[in-house]
Amino acid sequence: MDASSTPNALRPRRPAAGLAVSGAWLPAALAIVGWWALPIGRPNRPFLTLEPDLYAASIGHPLLWLTLFAAVAALALSFLPVPTARRADMVLAVGVVALASVVAWFMISTTPFGMGALLVLAGLVMLLGNALSESGRVQGDAFIASSILFVSLFVLLFILYPLFTVLRSSIYIDGRFDFSVFLRTMQHPLFFMLGNDRSAVDEVALTLRWSLAGLIGFATFALWRRVRWTAVLARAVLGGALGFVLGALIYGNGALPTSLLLVSIVAPTATLLGLAFALLGQRGRLGAVRRSLDVISILPIITPPFVLAFAMIFLLGRRGLVTYNLLDMQSSWIFGIPGVALAQILAFTPIAYLLLRGSLSSLNPALEEAAQTLGAGPWVTLRTITWPLVRPGLAAAFLLSMIESLADFGNPIILGGNRKYMATEVYLSLTGRFNPNEAAVYGAVLLLMVLGAFFLQRWWLGGGSFVTVTGKPTSGALASIPRGLEVGLTVVLFVWTVFVAALYLSIVVGSFAQLWGVNYTFTLRHYQDFFAGAGWEVFLFTARVAAISAVPAMLLGFLVAYLVARQRFFGRRFVEFGSLLSFATPGTVMGVAYIFAFNTGPVLLTASATIIVIALVFRNMPVAIRAAVAGLAQIDPSLEEASTMLRARSLTTMRRVLFPLLINTLVTGLIFAFVTAMTAVSQVIFLVSPGNQFATVLLLGWVDQGQLGRAAAMGTILIVSLLLVIVVVLQLARMLGARMVGVRT
Amino acid sequence: MKRLAILLIAASALFLGQAQAQRVNLLCSPDLAWCEALGPAFKEATGIDLEFQRLSSNDGLARLRAEAANPIFDVWFGGTGDPHLIAFREGLTEFYEPSVWDEIIQDLKDQVGGTYIPLYAGALGFVVNEGVLEGKPMPEGWRDLTDPMYKGLVAMSDPNSSGTAYTVIATLVQIFGEEEAFEILAGMHQNMAQYTSSGSGPGQLAGRGEVAIGVQFMHDGVKFAAQGFPLVTYAPVEGTGYEIGGLSLVKNAPNRDAAIAFIEWALTPEAQMIAAEQGDSYQIQSNRNTPVAELAPDLSGINLIDYDFDTYGTPEVKERLVDRWTNEIFPTPR
Repeated sequence: MDASSTPNALRPRRPAAGLAVSGAWLPAALAIVGWWALPIGRPNRPFLTLEPDLYAASIGHPLLWLTLFAAVAALALSFLPVPTARRADMVLAVGVVALASVVAWFMISTTPFGMGALLVLAGLVMLLGNALSESGRVQGDAFIASSILFVSLFVLLFILYPLFTVLRSSIYIDGRFDFSVFLRTMQHPLFFMLGNDRSAVDEVALTLRWSLAGLIGFATFALWRRVRWTAVLARAVLGGALGFVLGALIYGNGALPTSLLLVSIVAPTATLLGLAFALLGQRGRLGAVRRSLDVISILPIITPPFVLAFAMIFLLGRRGLVTYNLLDMQSSWIFGIPGVALAQILAFTPIAYLLLRGSLSSLNPALEEAAQTLGAGPWVTLRTITWPLVRPGLAAAFLLSMIESLADFGNPIILGGNRKYMATEVYLSLTGRFNPNEAAVYGAVLLLMVLGAFFLQRWWLGGGSFVTVTGKPTSGALASIPRGLEVGLTVVLFVWTVFVAALYLSIVVGSFAQLWGVNYTFTLRHYQDFFAGAGWEVFLFTARVAAISAVPAMLLGFLVAYLVARQRFFGRRFVEFGSLLSFATPGTVMGVAYIFAFNTGPVLLTASATIIVIALVFRNMPVAIRAAVAGLAQIDPSLEEASTMLRARSLTTMRRVLFPLLINTLVTGLIFAFVTAMTAVSQVIFLVSPGNQFATVLLLGWVDQGQLGRAAAMGTILIVSLLLVIVVVLQLARMLGARMVGVRT
Repeated sequence: MKRLAILLIAASALFLGQAQAQRVNLLCSPDLAWCEALGPAFKEATGIDLEFQRLSSNDGLARLRAEAANPIFDVWFGGTGDPHLIAFREGLTEFYEPSVWDEIIQDLKDQVGGTYIPLYAGALGFVVNEGVLEGKPMPEGWRDLTDPMYKGLVAMSDPNSSGTAYTVIATLVQIFGEEEAFEILAGMHQNMAQYTSSGSGPGQLAGRGEVAIGVQFMHDGVKFAAQGFPLVTYAPVEGTGYEIGGLSLVKNAPNRDAAIAFIEWALTPEAQMIAAEQGDSYQIQSNRNTPVAELAPDLSGINLIDYDFDTYGTPEVKERLVDRWTNEIFPTPR
């Protein structure tokens, strides 16, 4: 994972001798053209208003003239016949002046940026990238240096800046620092309450008993293992702490313990089920299982929010088909942690499956074959070879399902019952209690929890090497899984399949029923309503926006993964961490943050489809990053080094070496980005505007108003169309991947 | 590098937004069907285009606040009164006196004063699924909801997230006095199957047979029944509170003239009749001359309390009552 393993001698192409012309000339020219030909600013929201006075308004300021002069100077300097490094330093200095002056102008004038500004900024950033690379200040060629700058800029502007504006309001209220809201929220019974005076039992004493049990248990175990007494003490403390946390989760009330309890149920279950399905899919003996798995386990992620939760109510609720009609139960157990956990496991197992499938398929079978040749049985091979090697995939899957569970909005809001959940409280404290400061507090705590998970993952992976693809020819049969395990897993898959099929069938039935859950007379009314009303148009708009956002999400994700995993530069951790933040932040918090940040000033974006696209790109990019990082960790850097030695530029190396090897992972990322964009709700609910409606937000409106038939119709249409997209794209990727890898390794 | 430059230029084309024609942007909080029916009718009446975004009134307020510096919306149409009042007090909306002001029901005008324009009124009530009661009598009033025979059969929204639930608390406090009201709330708590986050959630739960009795606004109950859910809607005997749906002009609205034209139109009987005829919405409309829809709950037969919006609409009173409920009632085991 760490680029420190790359020997210094093999740094990507660095110009030792002088280049005749600095590469900075082209971006400099681009900036000048942008300055000259297009308006720098715009009067209000519309981008393409070609008013002549716009140009004049932009050009009137000395700071902008400075930008132009600096850009022209950079262009001229590019052709100066002096040693490359010295020339690059000069270009760098001038470029910084140009960039600073144009940014300063925007800060002072607070004019919304126009098309010209986009071109100028892009040109100047590339110019700096060229100059940094040529001066040797950044290791790597111009592409790497520019990419680092662009990525940092994006992370700053579209992730950290909006988050900062919203988090600041948790402790900075009415123009001064004020911790009262923070403290009050922390002590509020909706957030966390252990000692409840109104209950018969003493929760604190019970929790302390758990803590004591943990302490004694861990200490005994440590003594039995005969470790040093300091280690015994440390483990006893750890055991006590774990016991306390567990007790607090069980006996405590409020959003914090509920969400934590939920995560500790959902994340391990989803990850292990995902691994089970991945093993079964790749190595199972039954062909039918393998073929059906791809489709079946993908179903839950293509499902729009709310619909599945309703299907669960109609199957398992108090009057549910299974619980009431078949089992004759009268219980509303589904409302609360059990129901939400079930819904989340259904939803997040496929994500884990997709990640782990990628991880398993890029594992070199020769290693397992070697183990078996040396006499290891299938269980031993699985435990000592396969399991350790898929650890990056497991960690990624675990982290993702953890974050998804914490940030999930749709399931708790329908199935939550009396419990409070962190992600819904963010939304409800904002919209129900009208308290943005309180929402910010919830958001901040939620973020901290996710960061904790992130560092836990780091710690677990440690500094191990997971490289198995080395560029040497790979061959050998995949180790099959132990027969007993396979039978068990197949049963699990069968139960899963039946349950999922029943859920989806009930959605389809619901869409054709007069009134889902009450009157099952056949009707086409809901589909007619869907196509006659706003539904169809909104659906098409949503599909377009999702498609537009998925491609940059995937490409940016791949780029960031490459930079983070293979390059060493100042701010690497910052980029990795910042991009993780956008995914970890609950969608509602990010949505509000975007409005705060982009409603006025230079970056005016609200009330446009653009802001939805940007929000979705940065929301879904981190998944592509995690997938690509996990994939890269298994590819030996010497392949890229070989490419570099043959004097390929880093862009070429990425395109011709890494891209084909990672094509499966990347296509997974692309599909995931598209699908989650189409089914996103919490992050877009505050960003939709008249004329820019989103399917899921419309769905929420219908659900809110009890229009379940129309919701089911929309759900069915979404599910069927997304399923088609996935099947077609996966098939294409398989063909494409086989061809690319076949030809070029 | 050249390719990257070309890519960037292509990517910047993404940022192209459509130029906006003259129109009115509506933040629409009632039923989606009502919102959808407004556009064509308004276009026919005035020739002005109407685009709307449906957001519940709570979401709507959050949205208006976030966009205060540079509003997108021109008019806020419908939704419960409290958020409209807060929006007015925070300077997010301004009061506009329409030319049909004289035709608006006097009681409603008296309650809200010059803060927002009353659009409709809706009373609280019980939404009951008799099948789930399994022979138990239907509750007649608020006190009946504390009867242990309804254990696990009642649903209400959570005042921490829903304005409807707060209206319930404020109504009880106004009928019974604060102490007795909280005793009743504690008794209801013992019977509560769940507190929903959305105001119209209880009626949906009752419709699907998850609970027997939902406490919420009656017009939504009537709507669910009209959709086919096996529900009966009626008001409690001790009397009940009500909400006044609001219509507000957004301050610094980008299309102010069109916004005023819309407000003038929306208050005419012709426009208000759309609610029941095409919008699945059965509130009492605020214009005296708008005929009362057949399905609408008849407010004249209901013991409506003299709801004190001035006191119970203030954030301080609301926060105190909701906090008391959250600390005293909500954590009690049941």
